[in-house]
Amino acid sequence: MNKLIGRVLATEKAPTTMDKFNFWTDANLQLHAFDIVKVEHIDKSFTFGVIENISHITDAQSFLTNFISCDFGDVEIDEPTLRIGMNYAEAKVSFNSNNLYTPVHNNAKVYLASAEEITMALGLDKIQNPLVCGSLKMYEGTKDEVTLPVKLNSKFILGPEGAHLNISGISGLASKTSYAIFLMKAIQDQYLSMTNSDDSVAFVIFNVKGCDLMAIDRENDFVQDMPNAKEETLFEYKNLGLSPEPFKNVKYFIPYYDSNSAKQSTYLPKSDIARYMEDGQLKKYKYVYSSDKESIEMMFSNIDDPAQTMESIISKIIDEDDPDFKGLSTWADFIDKVTENSQKGSGQKGSNDISVLSWRKFKRIVRKAIQDEMFANRVVPERNECRLADELKKIGKNDVVVIDIAKLPEDKQAFVFGDAVRTIYNLKLGEYDAETDVAPPSRIIVFIDELNKYASKDVPHSP
Amino acid sequence: MASRNDGSKPHVKIRDILTEETGGKSYKAHKYSLDTTERPTIDYGNNQIVWKKTAETTKHTKYIDLSRLCKIITQQNDQILSYFLDGSRRVFKVDDRAYYDGSRSMIFPIIAGQIGVGCCRRVDKRMVPEKFKREIVLSMPDIANAGGKPGFFQATTKKINECKELKKIGVEFSAILPYRTSKNEEMKFEDKATACVQDKMIECEKELVAELVREGKLNQDNYLIKDGSLEYRPTQKDKKDKKSYQTFKNNYSWVLGASKNFNPEVCLDVNGKPNPGFIADLPLYHRTPVSCYENPDYLGDVQFAVWYIRLRDQHRTRSPFDGILKIEKILVTDEEVSEGMNSELVDTLSTYLINERNPVCYGSDLRWANHIYPIYLTESFVKSRYLSADSFLHLF
Repeated sequence: MNKLIGRVLATEKAPTTMDKFNFWTDANLQLHAFDIVKVEHIDKSFTFGVIENISHITDAQSFLTNFISCDFGDVEIDEPTLRIGMNYAEAKVSFNSNNLYTPVHNNAKVYLASAEEITMALGLDKIQNPLVCGSLKMYEGTKDEVTLPVKLNSKFILGPEGAHLNISGISGLASKTSYAIFLMKAIQDQYLSMTNSDDSVAFVIFNVKGCDLMAIDRENDFVQDMPNAKEETLFEYKNLGLSPEPFKNVKYFIPYYDSNSAKQSTYLPKSDIARYMEDGQLKKYKYVYSSDKESIEMMFSNIDDPAQTMESIISKIIDEDDPDFKGLSTWADFIDKVTENSQKGSGQKGSNDISVLSWRKFKRIVRKAIQDEMFANRVVPERNECRLADELKKIGKNDVVVIDIAKLPEDKQAFVFGDAVRTIYNLKLGEYDAETDVAPPSRIIVFIDELNKYASKDVPHSP
Repeated sequence: MASRNDGSKPHVKIRDILTEETGGKSYKAHKYSLDTTERPTIDYGNNQIVWKKTAETTKHTKYIDLSRLCKIITQQNDQILSYFLDGSRRVFKVDDRAYYDGSRSMIFPIIAGQIGVGCCRRVDKRMVPEKFKREIVLSMPDIANAGGKPGFFQATTKKINECKELKKIGVEFSAILPYRTSKNEEMKFEDKATACVQDKMIECEKELVAELVREGKLNQDNYLIKDGSLEYRPTQKDKKDKKSYQTFKNNYSWVLGASKNFNPEVCLDVNGKPNPGFIADLPLYHRTPVSCYENPDYLGDVQFAVWYIRLRDQHRTRSPFDGILKIEKILVTDEEVSEGMNSELVDTLSTYLINERNPVCYGSDLRWANHIYPIYLTESFVKSRYLSADSFLHLF
């Protein structure tokens, strides 16, 4: 049975309209913005309204009345009778059960709505391809509190109607990233439960700060939370129809570093790295000249190149028939060749018309970029080493790939990101279809945290 | 002439029923409300009341300072003023009707009144409605009863109430009150009719108090504050039966009347001369000594204890009498009549009343300086239950 909380107010100056109405409630009744209420209407129908604002009024005609009521400004005075006051809420009509949008009548009864009614009033019962995207609390903090799952049409975030999701909010509250992870978890849950569908999904997650995302396959220990947090959280997950387990099929990739060197390329503690390796979940990625020279252009993503000289150099390098660069196999050879080209008097062979100055600029940038252990000569699979592109090619249904770039300098982050995204792009375009072990899922979700740092700031100009 | 049975006229007006029942000719005069906006007034003029000796156990001659006691009682945070009662009426002139008295026809006003009497209780500093009575009455000249038959007006009332239109909106007339048309009094007919409505309202107030007493709601911890004077005239019935007369008086053991308007001329000094200045100069949070007054012609042997308290600083109000409340209490027991009220009780009651000064209804009511908020709320409650003037007048 719905709880009666007030009556509709319609006056000469504040009439009810087809999309708005006001109603009074007890001054102590707790309501919140966006709570839904139900109003009795004509033809036994019910109109639902979303609360937009709540005001408290008293019979005091002016501020002066209240001031005088304290003996003309005595702050200590307590009144034997409380001034009469009431709350009135402004609500926006969201729905009528009989599709009647005649304004609701004066003095009509206003009730709290039940979970089913709220679902109906918000149109949540008619969502196609439902995907849990969160929960909604109504009448929060009262004994009539209602929690209900909110679902959205998964096609809106997984295409074809939409392909990207923005999450914005105040920084530092641990909510934006957490929400993104929650949503991905919901998606994985849903696809794991779908057994006989052609639709499949995989995730590529870039860890850009700390080691926040480097443990998404581990259970939360709730050590730093309130005593009952675990039970409550798991209960909420259950109510939303989600499994309380962490992500499944997770693989971690960290930039290669020598186990003996003091410098580490990740924020992940050594113990965790060892454990992940034991479980076969973690690999160190390397870039090998012979296979990855095509990615050199990624190092120039932030470099202005108005005369396109850098691009010319890169084209020359990846040209299999180039007399200078063909047959090189290591980064050291490559740098040597670049150094050679950047010396005065070089280029006399007429092989190119690129100036020495451009070669020097190129050398400066590349040499700095490849001064890292992940630019290596060869991959040793036995030591859990890999090429990132080779691993990404093999991404399968429901896989979660976490690529750690948190500790890399910005230019190398861009390099890894660019390389990975290009690999995914090529994968989706079917470039690797002929290779074995390549069975790309129908959708790949790429999650890049702090995207505003990496995304282009250029605003497209209209001609 | 329109008739109730006239099927061609779907809306039967009360005026038509009256024409059928009492005859006379309706002039369909302009219908309007006789009430004026309530504003602070000083009630000048003759008053037959006799101002007597002091009526409290301590024979005070000066003002009594209650400010210290006010603070103490505020801190105690308890309450003995629990019930608040207010009666009000709205009178409307609804018709002018000519009656032929044998030699010539005379024109008389027909007055309709809405009476509302309400009582609110204070629970945890909040006001909740306790009781409400609404009566709708008509006041007509006595010669409307052409045959002079007893019970004529009751029968007419019944006929009016049979009207479908009234039943549809759930309105019922409780009585037709005849006013005297004899020319020996210098009073306008309209005023006479209004007085009848006023008397009916007072009856309702008395009944409501009696109900509260019967239900055992009033006692020394639960006083009733009634808006206005307690100068009720005991009815003939009251006086005839000694027991019921005493019951009437006993009903008022825990009732105080608080008047916003009063005649300051009533206050007499030691020489028996009116001394309104004594009240006007009353300092803030003080009370006057309690006097006793009686009016044997009007009130029989009922004696009242009367005193004044000042709620608001004279500098803050427009007239020296604004911010002063006149308090009345009927002296009930023989001891009270002979010795007067207990001075301590007077102090306590006055203090509680002084503490009622906040909140104020400044801006909503011109009488804010004399008004106490619970009474103001009760009054608002009663007024909110009236039929609107337009729809009420439309019945006629």
